[in-house]
Amino acid sequence: MEKTSEISDRLREHLKDSIVEMKNPRERRIFLRVKKEAFRETLEYVVNDLGFKHLSAITGVDLGTEIELLYHVVLNDAVVLTLGFSVPKEKSTTRTITDLVPSAVLYEREVHELLGVGFEGHPNLIPLVLPEGWPQDVYPLRKEWQLEQLRKIALEK
Amino acid sequence: MMKILDWAREKSPWILHFNTGGCNGCDIELVAALTPKFDVERFGIRLQGSPRHADVLAVTGPVTMQIKDRLIRVYEQTPEPKKVVAIGACALTGAPFKDCYNVNGGIDTLFHVDAYIPGCPPKPEAIIDGIAKLISAKKEAKPVGKDK
Amino acid sequence: MGYASTIKVPFGPQHPALKEPESFIFEVEGDIVVNVTARLGYVHRGVEKAFERRTYIQNLYLAERVCGICSHAHTTCYVQAIEELLNIDPPPRAKYIRTIIAELERLHSHSLWVGVAAHEAGFDTLFMYTWRDREEVMELLEAISGNRVHYAMNTIGGVRRDMPAETFPTVKKHMDSFEKRVNEYSHIMKTEQTFLKRTTGVGILKPEDAVSTCAVGPNLRASGIKEDVRADEPYAAYGETPFQVIVHGGGDVLCRALVRIAEMTESINIIRYALDHIPDGPVRIRAPVAVPAGEAVSRVEAPRGELIHYAKSNGTIKPERYKVRAPTLANIPSLAKTLIGAHLADVPLILAGIDPCFSCMDRMVFVDQNKDKQWVWNMEELKRHAKVERN
Repeated sequence: MEKTSEISDRLREHLKDSIVEMKNPRERRIFLRVKKEAFRETLEYVVNDLGFKHLSAITGVDLGTEIELLYHVVLNDAVVLTLGFSVPKEKSTTRTITDLVPSAVLYEREVHELLGVGFEGHPNLIPLVLPEGWPQDVYPLRKEWQLEQLRKIALEK
Repeated sequence: MMKILDWAREKSPWILHFNTGGCNGCDIELVAALTPKFDVERFGIRLQGSPRHADVLAVTGPVTMQIKDRLIRVYEQTPEPKKVVAIGACALTGAPFKDCYNVNGGIDTLFHVDAYIPGCPPKPEAIIDGIAKLISAKKEAKPVGKDK
Repeated sequence: MGYASTIKVPFGPQHPALKEPESFIFEVEGDIVVNVTARLGYVHRGVEKAFERRTYIQNLYLAERVCGICSHAHTTCYVQAIEELLNIDPPPRAKYIRTIIAELERLHSHSLWVGVAAHEAGFDTLFMYTWRDREEVMELLEAISGNRVHYAMNTIGGVRRDMPAETFPTVKKHMDSFEKRVNEYSHIMKTEQTFLKRTTGVGILKPEDAVSTCAVGPNLRASGIKEDVRADEPYAAYGETPFQVIVHGGGDVLCRALVRIAEMTESINIIRYALDHIPDGPVRIRAPVAVPAGEAVSRVEAPRGELIHYAKSNGTIKPERYKVRAPTLANIPSLAKTLIGAHLADVPLILAGIDPCFSCMDRMVFVDQNKDKQWVWNMEELKRHAKVERN
């Protein structure tokens, strides 16, 4: 689809070798992974210059030694760009995007409590969904935690 | 039908409805039971707001950890004689969420349940039927609807 | 949902010792809300972790039960994601059936909401009417699928049941009678003075705020923004069934109501068109059990707005990662914006106005900055206060 490939071209041109990987599996979908250092600038470009005003969600994925952060942004007549980068699991912090996209405020809280990613500068990084008293270093969506262990923790609490 | 009218004459149960974190399917069907098509109010069944005035505690949902303590407290605040009815597969056993980390599972792990209404969700007719059976069952009888 | 049957937990005005989590923490100055913090968790079951434990077919059952009111939206979003990963395309007839069920779901969801909004505005008669009328749709869904809730129509590769042509006249007949009711509700909402007074100018969300807070669904469209996943990236049969995207510019609770009512008429039209134009043919194709490694983003327009799923597969029969973001979560930032500056008396209707899909509204904490006072209310107590304030 023209719009999708046009956007892909502009991204490729703007980002050059900040791009780790870019995929275009079907029309209206772009999956773009960039180097961690390039993320903020890429997001600003995507939001301000390309007009992707709508942040749909932020997904965190445990890749093993890294946590991948995927930001699903939408251009209004529907191209969904999934923009991602990875942080090492041992030092999983990154800058908040709430100063640029205020609605990220809840999504960052969710990724923080379920995957243990810190968002520096977030106004109020309190838990969103986990119960009171949930142990601090237990991040349910990390692969090292099995369902049975988590249930035991929850029941003992 | 006569059985329902019989017990309605002897007692109008006031029901406290408590959702412990379910998908709302059972709750909507329970509320639908109030509406004109099923109209349980003519049987004397009424939804009540306070545990202190309730005869029947109708619980839906798989009991999330977040709400567990409140559920227990509501149970304790409901005066005797009280009956507890578990509505829907989640309240019975936790159903599809049984192994989830934030889910306690069936409410009979927390306190005694008098009636089980299976379904996902049970239809309003099934809910009314279950509650009717509950009220008319004798005190010493086995819990209605569960095979031990 | 619980509005008609809220729990009254007999707590007093101050409970500093209460360590229980609340869904919303309101900071107030006298009668005005100055800040809102969300603290959800009542309905957090841990479904995303559970998805990784189950096969793709088992996850159909789980996805459906994320929400009892928009379960078809969730399964449609789910199967679309998996079909994309499998690179298969369901037959056209299946897409039409998915569309018909989706619009029937929108009808019962919106009429549920009309009843709830009526109840909030003190209109219990309208609540009773809409929920009685809604039964017509529930019975249709049961006749078509076998269940009133969780219709289990979707499967990976199509739908599980056909809709035989003999059923179409019945569906159309019900659509005709339902349409008359919808017109009545529309008339009532536009003319009934009490309802108008309670909803006009209340909870205004300006267009720029709707966009900056990334609102979705009827709430977004009630602030004049013309976005609807069915039109923006047509899925199922929406590319072929003509319909209007309903937009109102006022941004208040009344506009949110008007958008939903008008959407109901559009739903009826989509259903009629789909029944008249549904292609013949099979309703499903067989799908492989194991899904090759890949990732997909799937979006649908649930009754409450944009629903988005992200799926990551790893070549096995179980997903690597499955993410669900329901529309209500996306509407919380805009909800907070409309609550700030609002009178406590208007809070119940503003909350109801976004058509929230969780029972978290049961418990709200209020913190009065000036008086250094803190108390807990549930919905009943807030509404009682609202009644007193208003009189």
